[in-house]
Amino acid sequence: MKLAEQLKKKVVSRAVRNVKRGSAEEESNRGMYRPEIRLDLQRSRFFTESYKETEGQTMVVRRAKALASLLAKMDIFIRDHERIVGYQTSDINGIFHPIDQNWKSPARLVNSEAGSSLLDEAGKKELDELCAYWAGKSMSDRHQAAIPQSLKKYWTYEGTFLWTQLSELGIPDYERLFETGLKGRIQAAKDKLAEIDETIPVDYLEQKDFLEAVIISLEAVIHFGKRYSTLAETMAGEEKDPKRRSELEEISRICAWVPENPPRTLLEAFQFFYFIHLVRYMEYSTLGIGIRIDKIFGPFYERDLAEGRLNREEALEIMQLLWVKFNELGLVYSPTVSSVYGGVASLQAVTIGGTDKDGNDVTNDLTYLALEAAKNLHLIEPSIALRLHEGTPDKLYSNALDVIKTGVGYPSLFNDESLLPLIEKWGVPPVDARDYAVTGCVYIEIPGKNVMRRAVGYFVLAKCLWWALHQGVNPKTGEQHGARTADPSTFTSWEDLLDAYAEQVAFFTNKMEQLDRINLELIEKYCPRPFYSAIVEGCIESGKEARKWVYPSMIHSFAIVIGGINVADSITAVRKVVFEDKRVSLPELIEMMDKNWEGHEDIRQACINAPKYGNDDDYADSIARIVLCRGEEAMETIRDRYGLPHRGDGSAVSATYGLAYDTPATPDGRLDGDFFSDSTLAPSPGQDKEGPTAVLNSCAKIKSIETYNHLLNQKFPPRFLEEDTKPAFMAYLKTWKELNVPHLQLNIVDKETLVSAQEYPEEYSDLIVRVAGFSAYFVDLSKGLQDHIIARTEQSLA
Amino acid sequence: MISAQDREVPKGLVFNIQKFSVHDGPGIRTTVFLKGCPLSCRWCANPESQSSEPQLMIRDLKCTGCGACASVCTEKAISFKEGGKRHINWQRCNQCFACVDMCLFGALTVVGKLMTPVDIVEEVAKDRIFYRNSGGGVTFSGGEPLAQAQFLQEVMALLKQDGFHITLDTTGFAPPAALDRILPLVDLVLLDIKHLETAQHVKLTGVDNRIIQENARRITDRVQTWFRMPLMAGINDDADHVSRVAGLARDLGVEKISFLPYHEGGISKWPQIGKIRPDFEGRAPDEDHMAALTELVSRNGLQVGIRI
Repeated sequence: MKLAEQLKKKVVSRAVRNVKRGSAEEESNRGMYRPEIRLDLQRSRFFTESYKETEGQTMVVRRAKALASLLAKMDIFIRDHERIVGYQTSDINGIFHPIDQNWKSPARLVNSEAGSSLLDEAGKKELDELCAYWAGKSMSDRHQAAIPQSLKKYWTYEGTFLWTQLSELGIPDYERLFETGLKGRIQAAKDKLAEIDETIPVDYLEQKDFLEAVIISLEAVIHFGKRYSTLAETMAGEEKDPKRRSELEEISRICAWVPENPPRTLLEAFQFFYFIHLVRYMEYSTLGIGIRIDKIFGPFYERDLAEGRLNREEALEIMQLLWVKFNELGLVYSPTVSSVYGGVASLQAVTIGGTDKDGNDVTNDLTYLALEAAKNLHLIEPSIALRLHEGTPDKLYSNALDVIKTGVGYPSLFNDESLLPLIEKWGVPPVDARDYAVTGCVYIEIPGKNVMRRAVGYFVLAKCLWWALHQGVNPKTGEQHGARTADPSTFTSWEDLLDAYAEQVAFFTNKMEQLDRINLELIEKYCPRPFYSAIVEGCIESGKEARKWVYPSMIHSFAIVIGGINVADSITAVRKVVFEDKRVSLPELIEMMDKNWEGHEDIRQACINAPKYGNDDDYADSIARIVLCRGEEAMETIRDRYGLPHRGDGSAVSATYGLAYDTPATPDGRLDGDFFSDSTLAPSPGQDKEGPTAVLNSCAKIKSIETYNHLLNQKFPPRFLEEDTKPAFMAYLKTWKELNVPHLQLNIVDKETLVSAQEYPEEYSDLIVRVAGFSAYFVDLSKGLQDHIIARTEQSLA
Repeated sequence: MISAQDREVPKGLVFNIQKFSVHDGPGIRTTVFLKGCPLSCRWCANPESQSSEPQLMIRDLKCTGCGACASVCTEKAISFKEGGKRHINWQRCNQCFACVDMCLFGALTVVGKLMTPVDIVEEVAKDRIFYRNSGGGVTFSGGEPLAQAQFLQEVMALLKQDGFHITLDTTGFAPPAALDRILPLVDLVLLDIKHLETAQHVKLTGVDNRIIQENARRITDRVQTWFRMPLMAGINDDADHVSRVAGLARDLGVEKISFLPYHEGGISKWPQIGKIRPDFEGRAPDEDHMAALTELVSRNGLQVGIRI
């Protein structure tokens, strides 16, 4: 424990603070990052340098050389406590920004109050010079230049969806990498080159460039490791403390060996993994991690134990060192993105539990070590995704609960029996589906496969309903922005409203797809990922960069959908108040809503008092099921460039607060700009009045297989997990599982603590809360987002 | 007021149905609170449970001062002071509840709802899967559930048929005939023991405890029983008294004693129903003493729990 406390002090939080709420400024005078955080320009500098030198070469080679240049030239360092090494930046407080993607956003940020501490004057000057090169060349420039005028108004966020550019996920094939080392992948690329020299395929030149780029990038990563080896050797020579000297010598030996060669010990495997993990972010910045940590590393641990190289305590120690490393990744986001990522550092989740490809439980002692490391360190990253299935041992439930009880917000729980049929419905063969892992919040991916599942953006379902109530016309400007759906005065039932809503969902999904389609074409052309391609299955073998082909069961593009429960409650309220009780006509209701209910509190209360989802009341729950299904069906009618349907995703993040700002009042009685239900399955805050069992019973009526991978947040006071009621809580979890609800994450905190933390933030710097899909330091959230979390129903204990 | 006609239908007067109860018997339970109680314990945390009629209950925090309630009150029992603060003249109120229908904000409510046995079964059945996974079930509490023995018998019979685990939480103050009807349907009884001294009991609860002690034997002879003991420092928490309770428990074959340390949770409810809280200064025993009492009960070979 003492070691964990010391280690915690080494962590620099890169969490982003939300400084915007949708289109509005919010606390933008406070720093978007903590004051010690610096924008590190090395990646931008060396990428730019290399790009200048490689003008005229093919893009895939240029990208590989840019990465190689960065890895060869960037400053590296080793910290005193480290046994696993590697940083993306030149000092411990750094975060970087991929200037090749977008230069305007960091340039704007560092010149604003929210980002002024990120760079000093010299840094700002250098950034300006670097930006000058990228003007017209960054992915964002190219995209803006390419999209037609008619589509531009959808590119600008106006409240219905926030399209995002950097969104590719993917989990490297660590199992194979650990078998062959990177040298094995280089050999595979060389073999493929030799093969195409013989066969001369029709895309010979393209394949040859790609394979050469693969070799350049893999060799660069090996060299990056060797630089650390040399540095450690030098440091060891100067080190007086014999214990530390031997650790540095160990680092030097390990980094000389991996990632070139297959790892032989747990520590080597951790170091190998970490190099790969760092570099894939440096090549192309995105989020998530998704490694099945117990399945991948368990065998190394067991071998070390068996062969006497390591005991359990030492294993825990190096696990904790790895845990700290996860907190050293971070990116500069734009202020608008801070609105959906309030409190996020880098959204890394590791997966534990679940089954192997044959359906056998994978739990091993390393599963428990991961939980212990998390419990000892109490950090926001990495989040742990725990896969539960029929064969999950009770001990794993119980140990997971002990971590949850600390209030850290994870493990978040994934229900295999609910999710596997959904993943198979997406076209993934059962054998691969059983190997799924969780990246980010509730993103589901298949390790090692060139899945290229893409999060295309944030999609506000409640705003689509609002457009349906206005025939797609903005009442302020008279402009036709959404689909021209039927006139609400002609609606004779709630189903008519549902039809119009579904039409709006399809309309806006299509706009999002059009924006993304152009982006993908540009990405394929200007932003290949040779390194990533080399570490997933099938690219080298087929001679094709990751985006040039799809894994047979490639999952799809998806949007993070928010406000769906508000749509459900709104349609229920319309059914009850307008069509059944006939308190008002629909046009009258819309008029009242558009005045933000002013002068019509009676009707607003009638809408609020209409049945609400989350109370195990079939009237409301059955409509919720229909509404969520229809929204998803509408989304799925839109196909991406690969011919695959767009789908929803339950991640929610802080968008349920941030992006709700731009949706005016809705028929569920919600006021203009008020936040939405905090996740795709959670009842609207305070509207679930029947307790946690009723919430689960309502959730069970929404089927994952008919919709998507949902997220459910529940908040309980800490006394609930005391020894005497723990068995009841275990039974609650088992029932959650049996009810087939796909996911659950728990905030174990009471209201008094949160309110007190708002008042005395300095005393609660360590207080962690679950936002949605990730954990965050409470003090990093804006007051409004804090209120959103406080307002969530606290399940009481009777 | 409940009409004579309503009384003929076998309905029960319920003031709350609490799902996910984990302190009213084993596992996850749904607790059905029946309204009306022959006792008037000075520390009562649910004063709205005492009367066997529906009652007006007000929530000032929700009141917006709109005045709609006053406009329909035939008895002129509602008035608004300067600043829009509502005032209820409880002497005038005839409990017609016309005002409740007018209130949009939930600032005026009726506590006490008539429900049929089938209504209750439907509500209880919703959480069946939770009971199965936790070894839980349904608990009838109050008020004093035995005060509605006929209704209780009907609803319990239906639940028994469906295989639910049934717990009765009772003061034990009931006619033996009522117990005879109900006990065959019950799986577990939570029997409140407040004080063993008759004079003290009368002073604290308004009723004689001898009938309770006689019923204790009647109950324990037939059904698995746990004692529940509200604990108030200086009133019933001395080691001697608790030791006697433990002795009685052992003699009667009671398995467990649950201590319910005094809390002030219900204080705000008294003015909400227009009643004045009896003069009572309670205090929970301190932690050390609680530990000593727990130890004492354990030494008697009994299980012991705090609040559970």
